[in-house]
Amino acid sequence: MSHSILGKSQEEKQVQKGLLDGIKRGETVLEARGITKRFPGVVANDHIDFEIRAGEIHAILGENGAGKTTLMNILFGLYQPDEGEVIVGGKEVKFRSPLDAIDLGIGMVHQNRKLVSAHTVIENIVLGHPRAGKILNLKRTGGEINELCERYGFKIDLRAKVWQLSEGEKQVVEILKALYRGAKVLILDEPTSALAPPETKKLLASIEAMATDELAIVPFITHKLPIVLAISDRVTVLRRGKVTARSETACVTEKSLAKEMVGREVIFRLERANVETGKPILQVENLSALSDKGFLALEGVSFSVREGEIFGIAGVSGNGQHELAEVLAGLRKAQGGKVILGGKDITHSSCLERWQMGLGYIPSERVEVGSIGDFSLVENIAMNFYFDANFSQRGIVDYGNIRKLTEEIVSEYNVAAPSPDTKAKNLSGGNLQKLILARVLSRRPRLLIANLPTQGLDVGATEFVRNKLMEAKKEKAGILLISEDLDEVLSVSDWVAPIYEGKFTGIIPGEEAKRESVGAMMAGSRPPLFLPPVGGGEGGQET
Amino acid sequence: MWEFIARSLEASTIFTFAALGELINQRSGVLNVGIEGVMLFGATLGFIAAQSTGSYLVGFLVGIAIGGLLGLFHGFFSITLGADQVVVGMGIWILGFGLTTYIGNPYTGPLGMERIPTVLGVSPFFYVGIALVIVTWFVLSKTSLGLRIRSVGENPSVAEVSGIDVAKTRYLCVITGGMLMGFAGAIYSLDYNPVWNYNFLMGWGFIALALVFFSMWNPLILLGGSLLFGTLWQLSLNPQLLLPGVLSRYIWRTVPFAITIGVLMIISTKWFRLRWGATTPEALATPYVKE
Amino acid sequence: MRIGSHELRLEKRLTLTGWEAAIISILAIIFGLALFSIIFILDGVNPLFAYQEIFSYAFANPYGLPLTMSRFIFLLLCTSAFIIPFRAGLWNIGMTGQLYVGALGAFAVLFALGGKASRSADLSPGILIPLMLIGAALGGAGLAAIAGFLKGRFNINEIVVTMLLNFIAFWLVSFMIKEGGPFMNPGGRGESFELPFSVRAPLIMGIPFTIFLALGIALVLYFLFAKTQIGYQIRAYGHSPAAARYAGISTFRIPLLVFIMGGAVAGLAGYHYFAAVPGVYKIARNYGFFGDLAFYGIICGLIALGNPLAAIPVALLFGGLSIGGRFVQGKLNMGFGLDYALLGVLMITLVAFQFFYRYKIVWVKTGEDRLDVGVYR
Repeated sequence: MSHSILGKSQEEKQVQKGLLDGIKRGETVLEARGITKRFPGVVANDHIDFEIRAGEIHAILGENGAGKTTLMNILFGLYQPDEGEVIVGGKEVKFRSPLDAIDLGIGMVHQNRKLVSAHTVIENIVLGHPRAGKILNLKRTGGEINELCERYGFKIDLRAKVWQLSEGEKQVVEILKALYRGAKVLILDEPTSALAPPETKKLLASIEAMATDELAIVPFITHKLPIVLAISDRVTVLRRGKVTARSETACVTEKSLAKEMVGREVIFRLERANVETGKPILQVENLSALSDKGFLALEGVSFSVREGEIFGIAGVSGNGQHELAEVLAGLRKAQGGKVILGGKDITHSSCLERWQMGLGYIPSERVEVGSIGDFSLVENIAMNFYFDANFSQRGIVDYGNIRKLTEEIVSEYNVAAPSPDTKAKNLSGGNLQKLILARVLSRRPRLLIANLPTQGLDVGATEFVRNKLMEAKKEKAGILLISEDLDEVLSVSDWVAPIYEGKFTGIIPGEEAKRESVGAMMAGSRPPLFLPPVGGGEGGQET
Repeated sequence: MWEFIARSLEASTIFTFAALGELINQRSGVLNVGIEGVMLFGATLGFIAAQSTGSYLVGFLVGIAIGGLLGLFHGFFSITLGADQVVVGMGIWILGFGLTTYIGNPYTGPLGMERIPTVLGVSPFFYVGIALVIVTWFVLSKTSLGLRIRSVGENPSVAEVSGIDVAKTRYLCVITGGMLMGFAGAIYSLDYNPVWNYNFLMGWGFIALALVFFSMWNPLILLGGSLLFGTLWQLSLNPQLLLPGVLSRYIWRTVPFAITIGVLMIISTKWFRLRWGATTPEALATPYVKE
Repeated sequence: MRIGSHELRLEKRLTLTGWEAAIISILAIIFGLALFSIIFILDGVNPLFAYQEIFSYAFANPYGLPLTMSRFIFLLLCTSAFIIPFRAGLWNIGMTGQLYVGALGAFAVLFALGGKASRSADLSPGILIPLMLIGAALGGAGLAAIAGFLKGRFNINEIVVTMLLNFIAFWLVSFMIKEGGPFMNPGGRGESFELPFSVRAPLIMGIPFTIFLALGIALVLYFLFAKTQIGYQIRAYGHSPAAARYAGISTFRIPLLVFIMGGAVAGLAGYHYFAAVPGVYKIARNYGFFGDLAFYGIICGLIALGNPLAAIPVALLFGGLSIGGRFVQGKLNMGFGLDYALLGVLMITLVAFQFFYRYKIVWVKTGEDRLDVGVYR
């Protein structure tokens, strides 16, 4: 809840403010004791203890749903714990809002960027700053911010509008914002999930620079195990709301960490099913498309996908893959080029026509586009069936039949919902994705386009989705997989195509794709001697 | 001819005040489609107050006050209760339309007071309007408060974590906006056309709404827009100045409205948007719910 | 608020059944009427007496009842005209303008076929009345289509456009019926020519046949939304245009379609009032009053939550309130505009009660975790 109307007394404020002044390396700056937080039906944090010291990088690890986000939100003042205390610089504190946390020097950098896209970098950094003064003095502020940039190796144009920036640059803005407010503790939520490997390297270097600067400490929250091992001093693992392990990073391995996170042995590589591929079901020739802002997002891309084949596109978000998916699905106009489905040119076909011709699209935005929250499950299933001859006659929709289909889907895919009349907005992310997947797959598409199908899902749901993709592959569907998770793409795809700035930097056969090189290609480097053929035939050399 | 220009400027003043009020609202993310209702209240109650007390000052103060009150009302439902802002705005409009018809009926007729003296041949409020536009522009683009307001309108959750009280900022804006709208109504009934009649505002509140979209949320462009519309309106009343005897005066009355629609069409085309690029405050009409 | 071991809490609703919605709507109406009694009290009138007069005149009086029924038909048509775009998430506040142009359309047909010439012109109602209906529907649809097109193609705010069109239509009517306009009554009283006797709408028990039109349309709309493909597409678009696009629904055609449909129905309301109500049979000089009355359609539509069948009793109630209100205004010597004021108060009450569609007040044991709140995992 927000501030009380009267606010704190001046005295109290002054006592609280200086808690982290004069802290030295190695001293505990932030501590959580017995933190417990409950939501209806689930205990998100269950008596969690941990502490962070000045100058250290302390990673917090856990899958989705383990309670990381809740914990960080409590430390940052967004939530109140039901039980337990937060201790800053040795004194117990109660945050009534993020403002209290910021005042004390705790800064947070969120996973879903909390920036105002329409404003400039400097406007975002200065927003709400107590020292900003009535009239904005952007020159002076700019100078101060540039100093910070020099110190930690950030390169950013203060006058750029945030929507023009890359994911990595946006993150830098958020970090600068926290540092400019005097953060002594920096909480980073999934800092590398949206970055290509080279950008990640840059970020890690800056983080180490901040840690060396005594007071800036940086707890990580990540499920990218190699990064944790590379950079942190200590690690704490969360599972189902409890702390399951705490140790110096030097003493753990990837395997042991994964085990603590999930509670069982984790298999890192999926069995890539060997299926005989058929003829090309999708042929894309020289396809171009504009982004929403009017820039060329996709530049003359050509490739093809065969029946029974998974073609994986790996890339950091914002490089044109989203526009590619939408053009193929019929949701975006092509600026040039051709799309051929099963031999027919569908470049100018409507979305509906494509559905009827056997194309299936799983959109990345499952809530805004893939489903209608206020509709029941039955009505959501109807989204892909209301026009189908089996389910509607002469303009009248046979809801009875659709309901039957819904019931079958719910049981086969194990969608957790009390009844087919439940509204879609009451489903969890994983269940919603299962519903959408089921709906699309029930049409037995010849070409399936899956746009970020496992984003935001926990390990269980992710496994389920991948298995279903494999099943579709066995049924000879051609699958175009777009994912920001490089490991996912590498583990299931028959062909891997890294995308960078609207072009494929290569098209590599699955068995030959190596993490290092594909990662580099995602960030723009092109292997020499490479010719990306239409049809993904010959494969190429890697650096 | 000068008379025509003066009247155009005076008409534009009212558009300026009302649209400026809504611009401030919308910049903070609140949509009020009931501008007409607020103006009707400001005009009617201001008229009644002035006539009853014989004092213009009282009339204007009442108009401004009722506007602020209605702004608060709109704010309460939109901000605190998170209701559908369009519904609330429609409610205010119909309430205004309905109640003022009934309340104002006994006062139908001229105000009966001495006209407010003009400055340089134009009503003094015209100059006040220009000053307000400049102040608003300055505050929004050059001050911290302005940055806060804009951020609240673009992305309230970001503003919240930056330590800004979203609700307070929005309330500030809707009350200020409401006061300006009530003021606009009072100017209409006390200065521009001091005669009370049932439904005398003739849709000016909706033209003001269109103006805000037209101005792309920039106060300076808004001023230009209201000057244009004031002139158009005056022209529709006196078509003989431009094209004597060409069409029935009724057809001329439709011209300002038709041109408004035309303008909205132009600024909505992709070409225009990409060139001039201004966008709607992202969080417009979305209630902000704290997590 | 706590009392002992239980407390009163505000909770977000997960579901809203038809019954619950109906109860809230009824409570809203009752509350609004109660609030309105302040106006009666301020004028020294006993509100209970006033309401009694209103209802008895509207529903039990041989002069009042037919008036109420005519008003009811008008309101039901306006409400349906509002509901169609409303289900698509769009606001049609242009019923006023649409009904004006609809009336012009109907009279245009008459004009073209010689009806203006004389009141006793012998024209066949069997042909003319359907033609007039078509003319009215086309007129209303045409005007509304502008708003629908602008919304579908350019995403221009339909509230602003329909409202501006209202004013344009208003002046258009003035042009047609006053100062030498084509439809002007030769007697020159600033109103349109009168409907020839032969083309007056047939009455059934004193009520114009348009009642079947209005009820029929309401039924058709209900069926449309509940069972048909088009209905599904409209509803999907109404909840989420982005998802609707994904499902193959045209985000250009739907706004255009719903406005054309809504405009056509509003046009019929124009036919009804100016060509079918006994005692009128022309576009009167105070036609603006009926245009303003169309705004009741918005309130009825909101109270009925967009359900075309629920709109029927609501429109009937409001028809009675409107007629009864006007009667009481005259009988008790209250100011002009009483029914307008009633309109206003009811609307704002409804707005306030919107809150209860989304939240409910519950009486629970303190500390108990309510399991039916939240997300299913």
